[in-house]
Amino acid sequence: MMRVWSSEHVFSHPWDTVIKAAMRKYPNPMNPCVVGVDVLERSVDAQGRLHSLRLLSTEWGLPGLVRAVLGTGRTMTYVQERSVVDPAEKRMELCSTNLTLTNVVSVSERLVYTPHPENAGRTVLTQEAVITVRGIGLGSHLEGLMVSTIASNAKKEDLAHPDRPSSPWRAPSDAHLEWQLLFLSAVFAKTLHLQEDSQKGFFDKHRFRVTFRSYC
Amino acid sequence: MTSESAAAAAAAAAMNSVGEACTDMKREYDQCFNRWFAEKFLKGDGSGDPCTDLFKRYQQCVQKAIKEKEIPIEGLEFMGHGKEKPESSS
Repeated sequence: MMRVWSSEHVFSHPWDTVIKAAMRKYPNPMNPCVVGVDVLERSVDAQGRLHSLRLLSTEWGLPGLVRAVLGTGRTMTYVQERSVVDPAEKRMELCSTNLTLTNVVSVSERLVYTPHPENAGRTVLTQEAVITVRGIGLGSHLEGLMVSTIASNAKKEDLAHPDRPSSPWRAPSDAHLEWQLLFLSAVFAKTLHLQEDSQKGFFDKHRFRVTFRSYC
Repeated sequence: MTSESAAAAAAAAAMNSVGEACTDMKREYDQCFNRWFAEKFLKGDGSGDPCTDLFKRYQQCVQKAIKEKEIPIEGLEFMGHGKEKPESSS
């Protein structure tokens, strides 16, 4: 079972301004859970396009609870983001996927920034996400919840004001952070009624291989 | 450097690396990259990246941290289980 979500947003700023802000979006006080951003690879190809591979590290705020329910001491989750910036065509594409929790959920998200076709002073962002949850008996409810939350957060986001590019703003690709928090909340709600020794058994029994559909 | 790009470079510099030992290298590289990106690359001059030495040092540090923390860049891992198949599926 999977859900797909897409949206389009227009910034009231030219493409260059939006791209500069997009590359510098962390730290972002709207998402303090992102604690690390690293560039793993970066190069310019023969066509003059910049390719980057980045690792985003997110820290949960609930280490004790995660450990008890999920049977792991690991509380960091990771997202891998690939991007291509074409300065001649004025197109930036980012594609991100989760690297952790992949046994139970996969989120794949693509963002494309291009100048507005009718107004060079504006920029269009199109965004798509595929979310697949398997097992645990939460599948369709959780997917629906995740998709509607991500969609409503994208609408709320203050995207149109990088007039001071150094000011932080919440970028749509922070969907990964939303789903992680949602997912854990739903899992806790489901399992807290179980006895402690049953909780680990619950997760062992309900591990599923993820069918990974990706835009990346 | 313009005041806009200086402020932006400073903001980016406040972020951490996945490897604690790499944070200073990362911030130095980020400042160099953001300056080059805004002032050269986006304006059509993508040649001559001045940050390659900084990037090499930073990359070596990060790759080591990734191995040590066993971050699954290449594989799928969670809950202590590797790439084995699950025993049951719905």
